[in-house]
Amino acid sequence: MSKSVIAYTLEHCVRCMKCLHACPTGAISMQDDRIHIDKQDCINCGRCVRACHSKGMVSKGSTLEDIHNYDYTVCIIPTALLSRCQSRQDVEELFYAVKMLGFDEVVEHTDIDAQLMKEARLISESAKEFNFIESFCPVVNELISKKYSILGENVLQLQYPTEICAKQIRKRLPGKNVGIFNLCECEANLALAKYPYGNDEYEVDHALSLTDMFPMIRPNLHKGKIDVSLCIDGLQACSVQSRMQRPDVLVADGFEKISEILDESEFGILNQYHLLTLYSCYNGCIGGHLLWGSSYLVNEFIDKLKDVPKKPVSDLPFDELFSDAYLKNEDTRTFAEKMSAFQKVNAILEELPGYDCGACGKQTCRSMAEEIVNGTRSLKSCRILNKGDG
Amino acid sequence: MQSIFYKDYEVVRDDFANAGTASSDIKRTLSTLGFQSAVLRRIAIASYEAEINLLIHAWGGNINLDVFDNGTVQLIFKDPGPGIPDLEKAMTPGWSTANQKAREMGFGAGMGLPNMKNVSDTFDIQSSSAGTTITMTFTEAPQ
Repeated sequence: MSKSVIAYTLEHCVRCMKCLHACPTGAISMQDDRIHIDKQDCINCGRCVRACHSKGMVSKGSTLEDIHNYDYTVCIIPTALLSRCQSRQDVEELFYAVKMLGFDEVVEHTDIDAQLMKEARLISESAKEFNFIESFCPVVNELISKKYSILGENVLQLQYPTEICAKQIRKRLPGKNVGIFNLCECEANLALAKYPYGNDEYEVDHALSLTDMFPMIRPNLHKGKIDVSLCIDGLQACSVQSRMQRPDVLVADGFEKISEILDESEFGILNQYHLLTLYSCYNGCIGGHLLWGSSYLVNEFIDKLKDVPKKPVSDLPFDELFSDAYLKNEDTRTFAEKMSAFQKVNAILEELPGYDCGACGKQTCRSMAEEIVNGTRSLKSCRILNKGDG
Repeated sequence: MQSIFYKDYEVVRDDFANAGTASSDIKRTLSTLGFQSAVLRRIAIASYEAEINLLIHAWGGNINLDVFDNGTVQLIFKDPGPGIPDLEKAMTPGWSTANQKAREMGFGAGMGLPNMKNVSDTFDIQSSSAGTTITMTFTEAPQ
Protein backbone atom coordinates (compact mmCIF):
# COMPACT_ATOMS: atom_id res chain seq x y z
CA MET A 1 0.00 0.00 0.00
CA SER A 2 1.43 3.31 -0.97
CA LYS A 3 0.19 6.70 0.01
CA SER A 4 0.08 9.72 -2.22
CA VAL A 5 1.66 13.06 -1.44
CA ILE A 6 0.02 14.72 -4.38
CA ALA A 7 -3.06 16.65 -3.44
CA TYR A 8 -5.80 18.38 -5.33
CA THR A 9 -6.43 21.80 -3.92
CA LEU A 10 -7.92 24.02 -6.53
CA GLU A 11 -11.42 25.36 -5.93
CA HIS A 12 -11.65 26.94 -9.37
CA CYS A 13 -10.61 23.79 -11.24
CA VAL A 14 -11.92 24.03 -14.79
CA ARG A 15 -12.39 20.26 -15.08
CA CYS A 16 -10.26 20.04 -18.19
CA MET A 17 -9.30 16.47 -17.20
CA LYS A 18 -5.69 16.98 -18.22
CA CYS A 19 -4.54 15.38 -14.96
CA LEU A 20 -6.86 12.43 -15.49
CA HIS A 21 -5.35 11.64 -18.87
CA ALA A 22 -1.79 12.29 -17.68
CA CYS A 23 -1.96 9.61 -14.99
CA PRO A 24 -0.10 6.44 -16.03
CA THR A 25 -1.85 4.23 -13.50
CA GLY A 26 -5.39 5.55 -13.80
CA ALA A 27 -5.32 6.72 -10.19
CA ILE A 28 -7.18 9.95 -10.93
CA SER A 29 -10.92 10.12 -11.39
CA MET A 30 -13.60 12.73 -11.04
CA GLN A 31 -16.43 12.19 -8.62
CA ASP A 32 -19.09 14.69 -7.68
CA ASP A 33 -17.32 17.37 -9.69
CA ARG A 34 -14.09 17.02 -7.76
CA ILE A 35 -10.85 15.38 -8.75
CA HIS A 36 -10.11 12.35 -6.64
CA ILE A 37 -6.70 10.64 -6.34
CA ASP A 38 -6.70 6.98 -5.47
CA LYS A 39 -3.91 6.71 -2.92
CA GLN A 40 -3.47 3.00 -3.60
CA ASP A 41 -2.76 3.44 -7.28
CA CYS A 42 -0.82 6.73 -7.22
CA ILE A 43 2.89 6.20 -7.88
CA ASN A 44 3.80 9.84 -7.21
CA CYS A 45 5.31 10.37 -10.62
CA GLY A 46 4.02 13.95 -10.60
CA ARG A 47 2.78 13.88 -14.19
CA CYS A 48 -0.57 15.31 -13.11
CA VAL A 49 1.19 18.15 -11.32
CA ARG A 50 2.93 19.06 -14.57
CA ALA A 51 -0.18 18.54 -16.66
CA CYS A 52 -2.36 20.94 -14.65
CA HIS A 53 -2.15 24.36 -16.20
CA SER A 54 -4.03 26.01 -13.35
CA LYS A 55 -1.70 24.65 -10.66
CA GLY A 56 -4.43 22.81 -8.83
CA MET A 57 -2.32 19.71 -8.25
CA VAL A 58 0.41 20.20 -5.70
CA SER A 59 2.94 17.98 -4.03
CA LYS A 60 2.81 18.37 -0.31
CA GLY A 61 5.88 18.16 1.87
CA SER A 62 6.22 18.64 5.63
CA THR A 63 6.92 22.01 7.16
CA LEU A 64 9.68 23.00 9.55
CA GLU A 65 7.18 23.33 12.40
CA ASP A 66 8.04 19.91 13.76
CA ILE A 67 11.70 20.77 14.15
CA HIS A 68 11.09 21.77 17.79
CA ASN A 69 9.69 18.39 18.75
CA TYR A 70 13.12 16.77 18.74
CA ASP A 71 16.22 17.08 20.90
CA TYR A 72 18.49 16.72 17.91
CA THR A 73 17.65 17.28 14.26
CA VAL A 74 19.42 16.07 11.15
CA CYS A 75 18.75 17.11 7.57
CA ILE A 76 19.60 14.72 4.73
CA ILE A 77 20.65 16.47 1.53
CA PRO A 78 19.74 14.69 -1.70
CA THR A 79 22.69 13.91 -3.94
CA ALA A 80 20.87 15.55 -6.85
CA LEU A 81 20.92 18.91 -5.08
CA LEU A 82 24.70 18.94 -5.30
CA SER A 83 24.29 19.24 -9.06
CA ARG A 84 23.25 22.86 -8.49
CA CYS A 85 26.66 23.57 -6.95
CA GLN A 86 29.40 24.80 -9.25
CA SER A 87 32.34 24.59 -6.86
CA ARG A 88 33.58 23.36 -3.52
CA GLN A 89 32.66 26.73 -2.03
CA ASP A 90 29.06 26.39 -3.29
CA VAL A 91 28.72 23.02 -1.56
CA GLU A 92 30.10 24.29 1.73
CA GLU A 93 27.88 27.36 1.66
CA LEU A 94 24.84 25.29 0.75
CA PHE A 95 25.35 22.97 3.72
CA TYR A 96 25.71 26.00 5.99
CA ALA A 97 22.54 27.61 4.65
CA VAL A 98 20.55 24.41 5.12
CA LYS A 99 21.84 24.07 8.67
CA MET A 100 20.66 27.62 9.36
CA LEU A 101 17.09 26.43 8.84
CA GLY A 102 17.51 25.16 12.39
CA PHE A 103 19.18 21.76 12.08
CA ASP A 104 21.87 20.44 14.39
CA GLU A 105 23.52 18.51 11.60
CA VAL A 106 23.42 18.29 7.80
CA VAL A 107 24.44 15.06 6.10
CA GLU A 108 24.70 13.67 2.59
CA HIS A 109 24.87 10.06 1.39
CA THR A 110 27.11 9.99 -1.67
CA ASP A 111 29.15 7.20 -0.05
CA ILE A 112 26.03 5.03 0.28
CA ASP A 113 24.95 5.80 -3.30
CA ALA A 114 28.37 4.67 -4.46
CA GLN A 115 28.20 1.42 -2.52
CA LEU A 116 24.71 0.62 -3.81
CA MET A 117 25.84 1.23 -7.39
CA LYS A 118 28.88 -0.96 -6.87
CA GLU A 119 26.85 -3.82 -5.38
CA ALA A 120 24.26 -3.61 -8.17
CA ARG A 121 26.95 -3.92 -10.80
CA LEU A 122 28.61 -6.83 -9.04
CA ILE A 123 25.34 -8.73 -8.78
CA SER A 124 24.37 -7.99 -12.36
CA GLU A 125 27.59 -9.52 -13.66
CA SER A 126 26.11 -12.90 -12.78
CA ALA A 127 23.03 -12.30 -14.97
CA LYS A 128 22.67 -14.67 -17.92
CA GLU A 129 19.91 -14.13 -20.48
CA PHE A 130 18.28 -11.88 -17.93
CA ASN A 131 18.48 -8.29 -16.87
CA PHE A 132 18.39 -6.94 -13.38
CA ILE A 133 16.71 -3.63 -12.80
CA GLU A 134 18.34 -1.23 -10.40
CA SER A 135 16.54 1.90 -9.53
CA PHE A 136 16.84 4.48 -6.82
CA CYS A 137 13.78 6.04 -8.37
CA PRO A 138 10.65 5.12 -6.41
CA VAL A 139 8.49 5.91 -9.45
CA VAL A 140 10.19 3.16 -11.44
CA ASN A 141 9.80 0.62 -8.64
CA GLU A 142 6.16 1.51 -8.08
CA LEU A 143 5.46 1.48 -11.80
CA ILE A 144 6.90 -2.02 -12.09
CA SER A 145 4.82 -3.29 -9.20
CA LYS A 146 1.64 -1.76 -10.65
CA LYS A 147 2.04 -2.26 -14.39
CA TYR A 148 4.97 -4.54 -15.14
CA SER A 149 4.39 -7.37 -12.71
CA ILE A 150 6.37 -9.75 -14.95
CA LEU A 151 9.52 -7.86 -14.00
CA GLY A 152 8.99 -8.16 -10.24
CA GLU A 153 11.80 -10.67 -9.88
CA ASN A 154 14.18 -8.61 -12.03
CA VAL A 155 14.21 -5.75 -9.56
CA LEU A 156 17.21 -5.69 -7.27
CA GLN A 157 15.71 -5.36 -3.82
CA LEU A 158 18.05 -2.60 -2.74
CA GLN A 159 17.04 -0.22 0.00
CA TYR A 160 16.77 3.41 -0.92
CA PRO A 161 19.91 5.41 -0.01
CA THR A 162 18.08 7.93 2.20
CA GLU A 163 16.56 5.11 4.22
CA ILE A 164 19.97 3.48 4.76
CA CYS A 165 21.46 6.87 5.59
CA ALA A 166 18.75 7.62 8.16
CA LYS A 167 19.27 4.24 9.79
CA GLN A 168 22.98 4.94 10.15
CA ILE A 169 22.22 8.30 11.76
CA ARG A 170 19.99 6.63 14.35
CA LYS A 171 22.67 4.04 15.08
CA ARG A 172 25.20 6.79 15.61
CA LEU A 173 22.98 8.67 18.05
CA PRO A 174 21.43 6.04 20.33
CA GLY A 175 19.05 7.06 23.07
CA LYS A 176 18.50 10.53 21.66
CA ASN A 177 15.19 11.90 20.42
CA VAL A 178 16.48 12.41 16.88
CA GLY A 179 14.36 14.02 14.19
CA ILE A 180 15.42 13.15 10.64
CA PHE A 181 14.30 15.46 7.84
CA ASN A 182 14.87 14.68 4.20
CA LEU A 183 15.10 17.43 1.61
CA CYS A 184 13.52 16.07 -1.56
CA GLU A 185 14.12 16.81 -5.23
CA CYS A 186 10.92 15.17 -6.51
CA GLU A 187 7.42 14.12 -5.52
CA ALA A 188 8.39 10.47 -5.43
CA ASN A 189 11.08 11.07 -2.86
CA LEU A 190 8.68 13.14 -0.80
CA ALA A 191 6.35 10.17 -0.72
CA LEU A 192 9.20 7.80 -0.10
CA ALA A 193 10.55 9.71 2.85
CA LYS A 194 7.10 9.79 4.36
CA TYR A 195 6.06 6.22 3.67
CA PRO A 196 8.99 4.30 2.18
CA TYR A 197 7.40 0.90 1.78
CA GLY A 198 3.86 1.80 2.56
CA ASN A 199 4.42 0.84 6.19
CA ASP A 200 4.86 3.03 9.23
CA GLU A 201 8.29 1.85 10.27
CA TYR A 202 10.34 4.36 8.38
CA GLU A 203 13.53 5.97 9.50
CA VAL A 204 12.97 9.41 7.99
CA ASP A 205 10.54 11.48 10.05
CA HIS A 206 9.74 14.33 7.70
CA ALA A 207 10.04 15.01 4.00
CA LEU A 208 10.68 18.59 2.93
CA SER A 209 10.09 19.85 -0.57
CA LEU A 210 13.08 21.68 -2.05
CA THR A 211 10.73 24.10 -3.77
CA ASP A 212 9.19 25.04 -0.42
CA MET A 213 12.52 25.27 1.39
CA PHE A 214 14.61 27.09 -1.17
CA PRO A 215 13.24 30.58 -0.37
CA MET A 216 14.34 30.01 3.23
CA ILE A 217 17.71 28.55 2.28
CA ARG A 218 18.58 31.32 -0.14
CA PRO A 219 19.03 34.24 2.29
CA ASN A 220 21.68 32.24 4.17
CA LEU A 221 23.76 31.34 1.15
CA HIS A 222 27.20 33.01 1.07
CA LYS A 223 27.06 33.68 4.83
CA GLY A 224 29.12 30.81 6.14
CA LYS A 225 30.66 27.44 5.42
CA ILE A 226 30.66 23.91 6.76
CA ASP A 227 33.38 21.40 5.95
CA VAL A 228 31.98 18.77 3.59
CA SER A 229 33.51 15.70 2.05
CA LEU A 230 31.89 13.84 -0.83
CA CYS A 231 32.25 10.48 -2.50
CA ILE A 232 32.68 11.40 -6.15
CA ASP A 233 31.59 7.91 -7.32
CA GLY A 234 28.30 8.44 -5.53
CA LEU A 235 27.60 11.67 -7.39
CA GLN A 236 27.14 9.56 -10.51
CA ALA A 237 24.07 7.98 -8.96
CA CYS A 238 21.88 10.95 -9.77
CA SER A 239 22.97 11.75 -13.33
CA VAL A 240 22.33 9.74 -16.47
CA GLN A 241 25.31 10.97 -18.45
CA SER A 242 27.84 9.88 -15.91
CA ARG A 243 26.25 6.44 -15.47
CA MET A 244 26.89 5.18 -18.99
CA GLN A 245 30.13 3.39 -18.48
CA ARG A 246 29.68 -0.28 -19.18
CA PRO A 247 28.31 -1.70 -22.42
CA ASP A 248 26.12 -4.20 -20.58
CA VAL A 249 24.41 -1.51 -18.50
CA LEU A 250 21.47 0.28 -20.07
CA VAL A 251 20.71 3.66 -18.57
CA ALA A 252 17.45 5.35 -19.50
CA ASP A 253 15.58 8.43 -18.39
CA GLY A 254 12.19 10.01 -18.90
CA PHE A 255 8.86 8.41 -18.13
CA GLU A 256 7.90 7.51 -21.72
CA LYS A 257 11.28 5.99 -22.43
CA ILE A 258 11.39 3.86 -19.32
CA SER A 259 7.89 2.57 -20.00
CA GLU A 260 9.07 1.52 -23.45
CA ILE A 261 12.13 -0.16 -22.00
CA LEU A 262 10.14 -2.01 -19.37
CA ASP A 263 7.86 -3.27 -22.14
CA GLU A 264 10.83 -4.52 -24.13
CA SER A 265 12.36 -6.09 -21.07
CA GLU A 266 9.12 -8.04 -20.53
CA PHE A 267 9.48 -9.44 -24.05
CA GLY A 268 12.96 -10.63 -23.11
CA ILE A 269 14.60 -8.72 -25.94
CA LEU A 270 17.00 -6.68 -23.82
CA ASN A 271 18.82 -9.70 -22.48
CA GLN A 272 22.17 -8.52 -23.79
CA TYR A 273 22.03 -5.93 -21.03
CA HIS A 274 22.65 -7.25 -17.55
CA LEU A 275 21.51 -4.21 -15.71
CA LEU A 276 18.87 -1.61 -16.46
CA THR A 277 19.23 1.64 -14.57
CA LEU A 278 16.09 3.69 -14.93
CA TYR A 279 15.08 7.20 -13.96
CA SER A 280 11.65 8.71 -14.30
CA CYS A 281 13.02 12.25 -14.67
CA TYR A 282 15.02 13.44 -17.66
CA ASN A 283 18.76 13.32 -17.03
CA GLY A 284 18.17 11.36 -13.83
CA CYS A 285 17.54 12.77 -10.36
CA ILE A 286 19.30 16.00 -11.30
CA GLY A 287 16.16 16.64 -13.37
CA GLY A 288 13.95 16.27 -10.28
CA HIS A 289 10.93 18.51 -10.57
CA LEU A 290 11.36 20.22 -7.22
CA LEU A 291 14.82 21.38 -8.27
CA TRP A 292 15.18 24.64 -10.08
CA GLY A 293 16.86 25.38 -13.41
CA SER A 294 17.42 23.07 -16.34
CA SER A 295 19.13 19.77 -15.68
CA TYR A 296 20.74 20.03 -19.11
CA LEU A 297 22.87 22.90 -17.84
CA VAL A 298 24.26 21.10 -14.82
CA ASN A 299 25.45 17.86 -16.36
CA GLU A 300 29.12 18.60 -15.76
CA PHE A 301 28.74 19.32 -12.05
CA ILE A 302 30.77 16.27 -11.02
CA ASP A 303 33.88 17.65 -12.71
CA LYS A 304 33.40 20.95 -10.95
CA LEU A 305 33.24 19.27 -7.55
CA LYS A 306 36.51 17.34 -7.99
CA ASP A 307 38.32 19.47 -5.39
CA VAL A 308 35.85 18.75 -2.60
CA PRO A 309 37.63 16.56 0.02
CA LYS A 310 37.11 12.88 -0.81
CA LYS A 311 35.04 10.50 1.20
CA PRO A 312 35.49 6.73 0.76
CA VAL A 313 32.72 4.47 -0.56
CA SER A 314 30.77 3.17 2.43
CA ASP A 315 31.28 -0.40 3.50
CA LEU A 316 27.98 -1.38 5.05
CA PRO A 317 27.09 -5.04 5.58
CA PHE A 318 24.82 -6.67 3.00
CA ASP A 319 21.70 -6.89 5.14
CA GLU A 320 21.72 -3.13 5.64
CA LEU A 321 21.45 -2.64 1.89
CA PHE A 322 18.69 -5.03 0.94
CA SER A 323 15.01 -5.03 1.56
CA ASP A 324 12.20 -7.41 0.78
CA ALA A 325 9.54 -4.98 1.80
CA TYR A 326 8.24 -3.82 -1.54
CA LEU A 327 6.85 -5.15 -4.81
CA LYS A 328 4.39 -7.59 -3.35
CA ASN A 329 1.51 -8.91 -5.35
CA GLU A 330 -1.56 -8.35 -3.23
CA ASP A 331 -4.20 -9.88 -5.49
CA THR A 332 -5.55 -12.87 -3.59
CA ARG A 333 -8.49 -13.70 -5.87
CA THR A 334 -8.66 -17.17 -7.39
CA PHE A 335 -8.41 -17.67 -11.13
CA ALA A 336 -12.15 -18.32 -11.43
CA GLU A 337 -12.97 -15.09 -9.58
CA LYS A 338 -10.63 -13.03 -11.74
CA MET A 339 -12.02 -14.63 -14.85
CA SER A 340 -15.63 -13.97 -13.96
CA ALA A 341 -14.88 -10.34 -13.10
CA PHE A 342 -13.02 -9.97 -16.40
CA GLN A 343 -15.94 -11.38 -18.38
CA LYS A 344 -18.43 -9.06 -16.71
CA VAL A 345 -16.18 -6.07 -17.42
CA ASN A 346 -15.84 -7.11 -21.06
CA ALA A 347 -19.59 -7.44 -21.44
CA ILE A 348 -20.10 -3.88 -20.14
CA LEU A 349 -17.20 -2.65 -22.25
CA GLU A 350 -19.01 -3.71 -25.40
CA GLU A 351 -21.87 -1.38 -24.54
CA LEU A 352 -19.56 1.59 -23.92
CA PRO A 353 -18.36 3.70 -26.89
CA GLY A 354 -14.64 3.00 -26.32
CA TYR A 355 -13.49 6.59 -26.87
CA ASP A 356 -11.71 6.80 -23.52
CA CYS A 357 -12.79 10.45 -23.51
CA GLY A 358 -12.80 10.78 -19.74
CA ALA A 359 -16.04 12.76 -19.66
CA CYS A 360 -17.56 10.36 -17.13
CA GLY A 361 -14.67 11.08 -14.80
CA LYS A 362 -12.82 7.81 -15.39
CA GLN A 363 -9.71 7.64 -17.53
CA THR A 364 -10.77 4.78 -19.79
CA CYS A 365 -13.94 2.96 -20.75
CA ARG A 366 -12.40 -0.12 -19.16
CA SER A 367 -11.98 1.54 -15.77
CA MET A 368 -15.55 2.80 -16.10
CA ALA A 369 -16.73 -0.73 -16.88
CA GLU A 370 -14.93 -1.97 -13.76
CA GLU A 371 -16.79 0.61 -11.68
CA ILE A 372 -20.09 -0.44 -13.21
CA VAL A 373 -19.36 -4.08 -12.37
CA ASN A 374 -18.52 -3.02 -8.81
CA GLY A 375 -21.83 -1.24 -8.67
CA THR A 376 -20.40 2.20 -7.90
CA ARG A 377 -21.51 3.68 -11.23
CA SER A 378 -23.99 2.90 -13.92
CA LEU A 379 -24.16 3.21 -17.69
CA LYS A 380 -26.04 6.44 -17.12
CA SER A 381 -22.75 8.13 -16.20
CA CYS A 382 -21.53 7.79 -19.78
CA ARG A 383 -21.94 11.17 -21.44
CA ILE A 384 -21.68 9.75 -24.94
CA LEU A 385 -24.39 7.14 -24.51
CA ASN A 386 -26.64 9.68 -22.85
CA LYS A 387 -25.96 12.72 -24.96
CA GLY A 388 -28.86 15.11 -25.02
CA ASP A 389 -30.15 13.83 -21.68
CA GLY A 390 -28.40 16.36 -19.51
CA MET B 1 -12.49 -26.87 -22.06
CA GLN B 2 -14.39 -23.83 -23.20
CA SER B 3 -13.07 -20.62 -24.71
CA ILE B 4 -14.07 -17.67 -22.59
CA PHE B 5 -12.11 -14.91 -24.27
CA TYR B 6 -11.06 -14.43 -27.85
CA LYS B 7 -9.18 -11.67 -29.63
CA ASP B 8 -7.81 -11.22 -33.12
CA TYR B 9 -4.81 -9.16 -34.22
CA GLU B 10 -3.53 -8.31 -37.66
CA VAL B 11 0.19 -7.94 -38.33
CA VAL B 12 1.32 -6.01 -41.40
CA ARG B 13 4.45 -6.97 -43.30
CA ASP B 14 7.51 -4.76 -42.64
CA ASP B 15 5.50 -2.49 -40.35
CA PHE B 16 8.44 -1.97 -38.01
CA ALA B 17 6.91 1.11 -36.41
CA ASN B 18 4.23 -1.09 -34.86
CA ALA B 19 6.43 -4.05 -34.05
CA GLY B 20 5.28 -5.53 -30.77
CA THR B 21 1.96 -3.73 -30.41
CA ALA B 22 -0.08 -6.93 -30.65
CA SER B 23 2.17 -8.66 -28.12
CA SER B 24 1.89 -5.67 -25.82
CA ASP B 25 -1.87 -5.87 -25.97
CA ILE B 26 -1.84 -9.63 -25.36
CA LYS B 27 0.42 -9.11 -22.37
CA ARG B 28 -1.76 -6.32 -20.94
CA THR B 29 -4.99 -8.19 -21.55
CA LEU B 30 -3.76 -11.33 -19.82
CA SER B 31 -2.30 -9.24 -17.02
CA THR B 32 -5.68 -7.57 -16.44
CA LEU B 33 -7.14 -11.02 -16.44
CA GLY B 34 -4.93 -11.82 -13.49
CA PHE B 35 -2.41 -14.28 -14.91
CA GLN B 36 0.68 -14.74 -12.76
CA SER B 37 3.95 -13.18 -13.83
CA ALA B 38 5.76 -16.48 -14.48
CA VAL B 39 3.34 -17.57 -17.22
CA LEU B 40 2.94 -13.98 -18.47
CA ARG B 41 6.67 -13.76 -19.00
CA ARG B 42 6.66 -16.90 -21.15
CA ILE B 43 3.68 -15.69 -23.18
CA ALA B 44 5.25 -12.25 -23.66
CA ILE B 45 8.49 -13.72 -25.00
CA ALA B 46 6.79 -16.19 -27.34
CA SER B 47 4.18 -13.81 -28.72
CA TYR B 48 6.76 -11.12 -29.39
CA GLU B 49 9.06 -13.54 -31.25
CA ALA B 50 6.19 -14.87 -33.32
CA GLU B 51 4.77 -11.43 -34.06
CA ILE B 52 8.15 -10.24 -35.28
CA ASN B 53 8.39 -13.34 -37.48
CA LEU B 54 5.10 -12.42 -39.17
CA LEU B 55 6.47 -8.95 -39.73
CA ILE B 56 9.94 -9.71 -41.06
CA HIS B 57 9.73 -13.22 -42.57
CA ALA B 58 6.12 -13.70 -43.61
CA TRP B 59 3.89 -11.48 -45.66
CA GLY B 60 2.15 -10.28 -42.55
CA GLY B 61 -0.45 -12.44 -40.82
CA ASN B 62 -2.95 -12.89 -38.05
CA ILE B 63 -2.74 -13.67 -34.35
CA ASN B 64 -5.56 -15.35 -32.46
CA LEU B 65 -5.62 -15.20 -28.70
CA ASP B 66 -7.85 -17.67 -26.92
CA VAL B 67 -8.27 -18.03 -23.17
CA PHE B 68 -9.97 -21.18 -21.89
CA ASP B 69 -11.91 -21.59 -18.67
CA ASN B 70 -9.24 -23.85 -17.15
CA GLY B 71 -6.65 -21.08 -17.44
CA THR B 72 -4.98 -22.29 -20.62
CA VAL B 73 -3.92 -19.63 -23.11
CA GLN B 74 -3.71 -20.54 -26.78
CA LEU B 75 -1.95 -18.41 -29.36
CA ILE B 76 -2.23 -19.13 -33.09
CA PHE B 77 0.00 -17.29 -35.57
CA LYS B 78 -1.10 -17.71 -39.15
CA ASP B 79 0.48 -16.24 -42.26
CA PRO B 80 -0.26 -16.54 -46.00
CA GLY B 81 3.29 -17.41 -47.00
CA PRO B 82 5.97 -17.80 -48.22
CA GLY B 83 6.44 -20.77 -45.86
CA ILE B 84 9.56 -22.19 -44.25
CA PRO B 85 11.44 -24.44 -46.73
CA ASP B 86 13.45 -26.36 -44.16
CA LEU B 87 11.70 -26.61 -40.80
CA GLU B 88 14.45 -28.61 -39.17
CA LYS B 89 17.01 -25.93 -39.96
CA ALA B 90 14.64 -23.18 -38.83
CA MET B 91 14.34 -24.84 -35.44
CA THR B 92 18.13 -24.78 -34.98
CA PRO B 93 19.29 -22.02 -32.59
CA GLY B 94 21.23 -19.30 -34.39
CA TRP B 95 20.03 -20.18 -37.90
CA SER B 96 18.40 -17.19 -39.57
CA THR B 97 17.28 -15.98 -42.97
CA ALA B 98 16.48 -12.44 -41.84
CA ASN B 99 17.37 -9.78 -44.38
CA GLN B 100 19.77 -6.90 -43.83
CA LYS B 101 17.00 -4.42 -43.01
CA ALA B 102 15.67 -6.58 -40.21
CA ARG B 103 19.11 -7.27 -38.79
CA GLU B 104 19.97 -3.60 -38.74
CA MET B 105 16.94 -3.09 -36.55
CA GLY B 106 18.13 -5.68 -34.07
CA PHE B 107 15.95 -8.58 -35.21
CA GLY B 108 16.91 -11.86 -36.81
CA ALA B 109 19.24 -13.46 -34.25
CA GLY B 110 18.04 -16.92 -35.20
CA MET B 111 16.55 -17.65 -31.80
CA GLY B 112 12.87 -17.05 -32.60
CA LEU B 113 11.48 -20.53 -33.16
CA PRO B 114 13.75 -22.33 -30.66
CA ASN B 115 12.80 -19.75 -28.02
CA MET B 116 9.09 -20.15 -28.70
CA LYS B 117 9.38 -23.89 -28.32
CA ASN B 118 11.35 -23.50 -25.10
CA VAL B 119 8.93 -21.18 -23.34
CA SER B 120 5.62 -22.74 -24.47
CA ASP B 121 3.92 -25.80 -22.97
CA THR B 122 2.84 -27.17 -26.34
CA PHE B 123 4.27 -26.05 -29.64
CA ASP B 124 3.11 -27.03 -33.11
CA ILE B 125 4.31 -25.70 -36.44
CA GLN B 126 2.88 -26.48 -39.88
CA SER B 127 4.44 -24.93 -42.95
CA SER B 128 4.01 -25.11 -46.70
CA SER B 129 4.32 -22.65 -49.56
CA ALA B 130 0.73 -21.64 -48.76
CA GLY B 131 1.79 -20.35 -45.37
CA THR B 132 2.85 -21.20 -41.83
CA THR B 133 0.72 -21.81 -38.75
CA ILE B 134 2.19 -21.91 -35.28
CA THR B 135 0.02 -23.00 -32.38
CA MET B 136 1.27 -22.61 -28.84
CA THR B 137 -0.44 -23.17 -25.52
CA PHE B 138 0.51 -22.00 -22.07
CA THR B 139 -0.88 -23.17 -18.78
CA GLU B 140 -0.47 -21.45 -15.51
CA ALA B 141 1.21 -23.65 -12.93
CA PRO B 142 -1.35 -24.55 -10.25
CA GLN B 143 -1.01 -22.39 -7.17
